[in-house]
Amino acid sequence: MSLLELEDVTASYGYAPVLHGISFQLEANRAQGILGANGAGKTTTLRAISGMVPATGRIRFDGVDILGKSPDRIARMGIAHVPEGRGTLGGLSVRDNLRVGAYQRRDRKQIEEGIEFCLDLFPNLRERIGSNASALSGGEQQMLAVARAFMAQPRVILLDEASLGLAPSTAQRVYDAIRRLREESGVALVVVEQNAALAFSIVDHALVLETGRVSIEGSRERLAGMDEVRRAYLGG
Amino acid sequence: MKAFLARPIVRIILAVVIAVVIIVAPITSSPYVNYQLSIIAVFAVALLGLNIVMGYTGQVSLGQSAFLGLGAYIAAYGVRMEWPIVLTFLLCCVIPAAVGLLVALAAARLRGLALAMVTIALPIIGVPLAKRFPDFTGGSQGTSVSFLEAPDWSGLADDQWRYYIVVAIAVVLFLLGRNLVRGRIGRAFAIVKSNEAVALSMGISPYRYKVLAFTVASLFGGAAGFLYIAVVQYTSPETLSFATSINLIAAMVIGGSASILGTILGAIYFVVLPIAAGQIDASRTALISGAVLLAVLFLLPGGLVSLPRRIVQLTSGAKRRGGSTPANQTPTGGTAPDGTAPDGTAPGNTAESAAQKQPK
Amino acid sequence: MAYTIQLIVEGFATGSIYGALALAIVLVNRSTGLINFAQGSMGVLSTFVAFGLIQLGVPLLVAMLAAFVFAFLLGAGVERFVVRRFERGDPDTAVVVTIGLFVFIAGIAALLFGYEPRQFPSLFPPQSINIAGVFVSMRSVGTIIVLIAVMILLQLLFRFTKLGLAMRAVADNPQSAGLSGLPVSRLLMIGWGLAAVLGAIAGVLVAPQLFISPTMLDFALVYALAAAILGGLDSPVGAVVAGWFIGIVENLAGAYVDVIGDDLKIAVPFIFMLIILIVRPQGLFGRKVTVRI
Repeated sequence: MSLLELEDVTASYGYAPVLHGISFQLEANRAQGILGANGAGKTTTLRAISGMVPATGRIRFDGVDILGKSPDRIARMGIAHVPEGRGTLGGLSVRDNLRVGAYQRRDRKQIEEGIEFCLDLFPNLRERIGSNASALSGGEQQMLAVARAFMAQPRVILLDEASLGLAPSTAQRVYDAIRRLREESGVALVVVEQNAALAFSIVDHALVLETGRVSIEGSRERLAGMDEVRRAYLGG
Repeated sequence: MKAFLARPIVRIILAVVIAVVIIVAPITSSPYVNYQLSIIAVFAVALLGLNIVMGYTGQVSLGQSAFLGLGAYIAAYGVRMEWPIVLTFLLCCVIPAAVGLLVALAAARLRGLALAMVTIALPIIGVPLAKRFPDFTGGSQGTSVSFLEAPDWSGLADDQWRYYIVVAIAVVLFLLGRNLVRGRIGRAFAIVKSNEAVALSMGISPYRYKVLAFTVASLFGGAAGFLYIAVVQYTSPETLSFATSINLIAAMVIGGSASILGTILGAIYFVVLPIAAGQIDASRTALISGAVLLAVLFLLPGGLVSLPRRIVQLTSGAKRRGGSTPANQTPTGGTAPDGTAPDGTAPGNTAESAAQKQPK
Repeated sequence: MAYTIQLIVEGFATGSIYGALALAIVLVNRSTGLINFAQGSMGVLSTFVAFGLIQLGVPLLVAMLAAFVFAFLLGAGVERFVVRRFERGDPDTAVVVTIGLFVFIAGIAALLFGYEPRQFPSLFPPQSINIAGVFVSMRSVGTIIVLIAVMILLQLLFRFTKLGLAMRAVADNPQSAGLSGLPVSRLLMIGWGLAAVLGAIAGVLVAPQLFISPTMLDFALVYALAAAILGGLDSPVGAVVAGWFIGIVENLAGAYVDVIGDDLKIAVPFIFMLIILIVRPQGLFGRKVTVRI
């Protein structure tokens, strides 16, 4: 049984359907990419999983149907979503953001250790530990968002356009850190990215979405060669 | 049904029927009924003013009662000083409008609650001021004047004559108001209400139009004040009170904001409710009016005027999501700008949509 | 001089009442983004619960605690069942909803207890104490102390407890907080519940002086709204400071500026408010809001 299963998922904003039947499966500890151009439905897919957008079809997490549950309920089941725009809690300090990430946990000592681990991973955050999160740069906020998701000790992290608005070197650093997190904890990932190269630095398998449908999927080797992928978006 | 009503011949017949009813009513009714009908006309004018600034332009005004009261006091003063009645009426329109203009110039740049607070200040300051100047206002006792007596040539009783004058003026004001909101200015109001940024990009200055709306509202309020004292023949600081403002807002929403017909329904409600509630139990008026307002907001956000539409929807079963269901039909007029799913009670959805107002 | 100080202290006391309500308004606004015009009525109804219990012979403190519990449940219930569906819509509509609640809840109080003002026992002894030649009533001092204690408790809650952290997170960005698994719905209800308790505290503090009636807190509410705006709607400290400011200015202006006198003194805070808003639209302590298009 897969950790996360989507079956024929459709979703719309208001009247306009954005997803037209997406299906895929994610095994535990694996990392899956979702690639595609702007507007292909990548973000919507993540939102459907985390319950932010109403959807039809089947979405199962660990065998349990999660379609229709509220986002906070789904999060408590072990899915952490780092949304587009990062969702930083701007009025709270960096430390408080991390503490919020660990909200569901009770093990005080281990939470502190977790925070220390994140700060080691992202030294910038350690410097700014007391500042309000809104004062951080884009890259730092992204790191904070990832760290916060990680603090929940989730089974899956949904990562939405983590490189958006970041300088290439910063984006690379974020992805390197994510890879390390994955190595450390074995968390499964669903990575939505426009930058295929970056995505493939941490996933081995990806779907390409085009206007709400899965147009192709495959491993890095298989996709890298394909014209469609290269055509679907430059910078790949 | 709507198509039926839109046909010119139907409209003409309807207009004629209504006109006949309005004209004939006072002849056959008792003075008490004429009084009530006249009062309805008075508050219809006041509500129209409120609707213009709040329903059509989306600016919360908790001070409409102040303009009503001001107009009433000016009229009372003018009558006592034996000024020509037309002059008095004009002053009742112009002076409150000027006050409204000044207030709006200062306050229209404020958002939301700040603007509402400035408008609250009007009755709050107005009431003690009204008690202060006995020469002008008669102090806390209020002042009583009687004018608009029926001339002998008309053969009418005073209450009938007053009815005709008041209703005539009200009809004229309504026509003016109707033209305003249906014309270019009204469209500008609607754009300012829905999205100020869009208005700006279209070259419409939200500030200017808010000031205009507020001034017009004050003008109508003042005119209503004149009519008020013509009918009631008495005014006191109570007319200016904050409670009156709140009742006006409630009536506006219940009748149906951003709607001419809704304004009239609101005025009927405003006058009839205390009477009806009084029949049940006078001390229950607040409870009942609060309950009605809440019920309307929940079940019929478009106000009473939207009742036919709602019944049609319910009976035919609105299959389309995003049709005028309560959640996205706002009581302050029109439909909500976003088309998000109406289902409102899932906690998660609230969190999502509550955050839609957050800057990313 | 002694008279002035007395006026200032009394102003602090009445200002504390405004501040408590203003604090409630800010709390609700921060967590759910709307202005609750019914804050006063909710407080009054809760105070009536205490009143009813006292009539039945329950000791004062117990009755007050029961009133606070009632207030919490009332606030939470109102958020969940009445206000919830309007939270994500047009804020002006939400205001009208709270106005409807204001009238309705006051109506309930009137139905159960009538409009006649009734006597309400005071927590504090009726004497005045003499501090360096100035006579201040124990009631005033007590009110001020209670408010300061409440403020400190709230600060402790928000800064040092997990619940406080969660409430701050939800106030900051409810959607994002939900993604971290925070029970957003429950937290919103708790926010409203706490705010209602603040209203109840204001009610029981002021009832002995004003005599309890359904309209008892109407004026205080208007002042509290002014204080909340003056302080900047997102600043709890600002709201209380503004409340004190209004209370003191009102008293001093009423006593010393002849033109104003006792009846027009209520106009003074509004004039100040108007001036400050024109000069600084975000209020004294508020953050400047940039509207993202």
